[in-house]
Amino acid sequence: MKVTLFATCLVDLFQSNVGKATVELLERLGCEIDFPESQICCGQPAYNSGYTKESKEAMKKMIKTFADAEYIVTPSGSCAAMFKEYPVLFKGDAEWEKKAASLAAKTYELSQFIVDVLKVTDVGATLKGKATYHTSCHMTRLLKVKEAPAILLSHVRGLEMTPLPDAQNCCGFGGHFRLRWVTFPGKWSRKRYAILKIPGQIF
Amino acid sequence: MAMKTSSAKFKDRVDEGIHNDFMRLAVSSAQERLHGRRLTAVDELGSWEDWRSLGEEIRQHVLSNLDFYLHQLAENVSKRGGHVFFAETAEEASGYIKDVIVKKNAKKVVKSKSMVTEEINLNATLEAVGLDVVETDLGEYILQVDDHDPPSHIVAPALHKNKEQIRDVFKEKLAYTQTEKPEELTAHVRGILRKDFLSADVGITGCNFAIAETGSIGLVTNEGNADLVTALPKTQITVMGMERLVPTFDEFEVLVSLLTRSAVGQRLTSYITALTGPRDEDDVDGPEEFHLVIVDNGRSSILGTEFQSVLQCIRCAACINVCPVYRQVGGHSYGSIYPGPIGAVLSPLLGGYDDFKELPYASTLCAACTDACPVKIPLHDLLRKHREVIVEKEKMAPFSEKMAMKAFGIGAASPMLYKFGSKMAPSAMSPFKTGDIISKGPGPLKTWTESREFPAPGKESFRDWFKNREKGGKPS
Amino acid sequence: MNGTIHNEGAFLNNIAKNLGRAPITEGISVPEWKHAPKKEVLKHATPNDLVAELKEQCKRVHTQFHVTDSKQVMHCLTQVIEELGNGPLIIPKDDRFSAYGLEGILKEKDVHIWDHQAGNENIEKAESANIGITFSEMTLAESATIVLFSDKDHGRSISFLPACHVSIIPKSTIVPRMTQAAAAIRSKVARGEVIPSCINFITGPSNSADIEMDLVVGVHGPIKAVYIIVEDK
Repeated sequence: MKVTLFATCLVDLFQSNVGKATVELLERLGCEIDFPESQICCGQPAYNSGYTKESKEAMKKMIKTFADAEYIVTPSGSCAAMFKEYPVLFKGDAEWEKKAASLAAKTYELSQFIVDVLKVTDVGATLKGKATYHTSCHMTRLLKVKEAPAILLSHVRGLEMTPLPDAQNCCGFGGHFRLRWVTFPGKWSRKRYAILKIPGQIF
Repeated sequence: MAMKTSSAKFKDRVDEGIHNDFMRLAVSSAQERLHGRRLTAVDELGSWEDWRSLGEEIRQHVLSNLDFYLHQLAENVSKRGGHVFFAETAEEASGYIKDVIVKKNAKKVVKSKSMVTEEINLNATLEAVGLDVVETDLGEYILQVDDHDPPSHIVAPALHKNKEQIRDVFKEKLAYTQTEKPEELTAHVRGILRKDFLSADVGITGCNFAIAETGSIGLVTNEGNADLVTALPKTQITVMGMERLVPTFDEFEVLVSLLTRSAVGQRLTSYITALTGPRDEDDVDGPEEFHLVIVDNGRSSILGTEFQSVLQCIRCAACINVCPVYRQVGGHSYGSIYPGPIGAVLSPLLGGYDDFKELPYASTLCAACTDACPVKIPLHDLLRKHREVIVEKEKMAPFSEKMAMKAFGIGAASPMLYKFGSKMAPSAMSPFKTGDIISKGPGPLKTWTESREFPAPGKESFRDWFKNREKGGKPS
Repeated sequence: MNGTIHNEGAFLNNIAKNLGRAPITEGISVPEWKHAPKKEVLKHATPNDLVAELKEQCKRVHTQFHVTDSKQVMHCLTQVIEELGNGPLIIPKDDRFSAYGLEGILKEKDVHIWDHQAGNENIEKAESANIGITFSEMTLAESATIVLFSDKDHGRSISFLPACHVSIIPKSTIVPRMTQAAAAIRSKVARGEVIPSCINFITGPSNSADIEMDLVVGVHGPIKAVYIIVEDK
């Protein structure tokens, strides 16, 4: 199966390990990975800040970049949700609305793709230790992908999953809010993760 | 108190909130309890998504036929002998109410909790002509006794105060001599307010939902104060935001079910009352005279815009109870009587961007508010739309941000420029790096890194790795 | 006599203008809603199931619950009154007291029967009463809610002002939830009946959690609530 990877700008620039792991994982599951060089950013930073005009430029670029893809897979629920929002943004735009809809229809978040499309629930991973999973706001609430990550994690050999209390609460990391205004979300993120006092190795 | 509760700058208000450790603890524990109760109540009911869709459907139908239903309501109130006053502005509304009361030579007014009366600055208007105005909701009463401290939550207005603070206020103002136990504090207030209920000339209420078909006013409380406010004084004045109505008792029932579960996690609250007109002939209690004041105060200008759905709101505060930003900064930081996500959407619409332009940014856009809303208002999306208006129409965005976003628009649409920028990133960031972490970022990254370390751009971007790999380079 | 309406025309025209259409003052009917989850709640519950649901819910709303029949109800009520610390009592002027074998209450020395001709004296009596006794017109099992209709013989204050509120619940009045009560009120309207000026849905005693979210039972209204179900009525 041919998969076109949308790495996302954060992964590309700051967390390339996530991108590498995504490629290796999908290849192990028998996918052939394509990475179109012209991809940049889904446009969400500008869109969420109210710069819709500017973000649309980025979006058009993405629509063109992924026009020929069969499946677009991205290791970010948030960016996937942004792609899914494109048809709303280009509604009534004769040139772009259809293309946006086609992009949205073939976009999957990584775990969603593995579970829903590849129909794989066990990726064959082994990791000894304990972990907890904090749901992503945009992935659960906007993309509505709730189960897939937990399903995959539950099949990792040697890994004991411990539920995170109030996992639905926002970590406070994201958003324009911290960039623009105040210095406190750190206090909040630290507190959020201070509850993870689980013995053993934490991932 | 008008809608705006503070003239301090938003940043200063937030800083004050952040450093008020008691308030933050009180808010987070209240949020957890209310959130937990709501989830239980919602689970028990079953088919919650259908309930929400029904709530949305009803509210949207009413909004798109608002003139029809308001007309029907007014006709039916009048048929039962009530007087209806349509007030376009806050001043018209509070002025009319003042005139009614002054004409009666009334001295004392008892009120049950109503956000719209806060919005139209009613208490100050009445106190200015020498009236004794008594709030009877326990939370509102505490705030009133404490020199009109502003509310910090639309359902639990005194959420930011602890029982020791309340005890001290009561000692100073009410000659209270007992302990900080909530039972004792409450019993003391019961004693005082009972006398007020019995001696008041006028009772003023808000309105949870008016029912157009019967001309009824629906009131929802746990304390029963709205019932005493409307059963004992000779005159009842009810103030409602113009969108707060439903077609019939059937829809009233649905919205009450959504409200009580979402607000406090109860199947129904202790007192739900439907009042129709003044008392019937030969009745002994209930008002002899009834006035309904229907307030626009900026609401009509929201109709027909991309923000219309905010008028679906039933004031349950579920969005406030799940908001991570409210949890950290508390209600007073918003500087509006309407805090939290709903306040951040509503306040700029009713009060203008000049006073409330920062509020749409008081959100991480995590969408917990949208998820919690029982009538499916897309709150996070409306917050984002506000930002769009602020940037594009109001031109209020900071210059540096505008420049950065212009650059984003150009950069993100041009792979060449993007590549150049990303190549530069590791070396541009190097002065701020400690190992692989940026801990004192420049410019817009500064506020971010003051609270969270940001990973430094790697030496090799993902795209370079992928390219090398395709060329046969070794995966790193 | 009809009341007055001020400033309606301009106000409603402005709404219509903002909605981008001509004003509408007639011809709208309530649509058939696409979603109907409310009919599903307790859909298959038998009358006994409803009593069980009501009983369970009473625990959560701090309300004492008794089941009896018309033979035993006087005995049950007498006991409840004693437990609540006796009179003074205030009750509506209601034939059901006799019909239910509760004549005994009418003859108690400490009882005031609502008498609209006595005017404000009723309110004074309610204020000083320890217990107000009412008959539930409809009873909602899901939420443990009783429904009261006001009229000249059924003063609003009876359930608000006394320290305790005892409500007699004929089993036949129990319905699944507020849905059925709303439908019953709507059919009154459809029949052209005038609905009471005050309809109360009361669930247990008055309470507040305004201080540190700690529940305090008994704020402005009654501090204690007791329901007595009469099985054969």
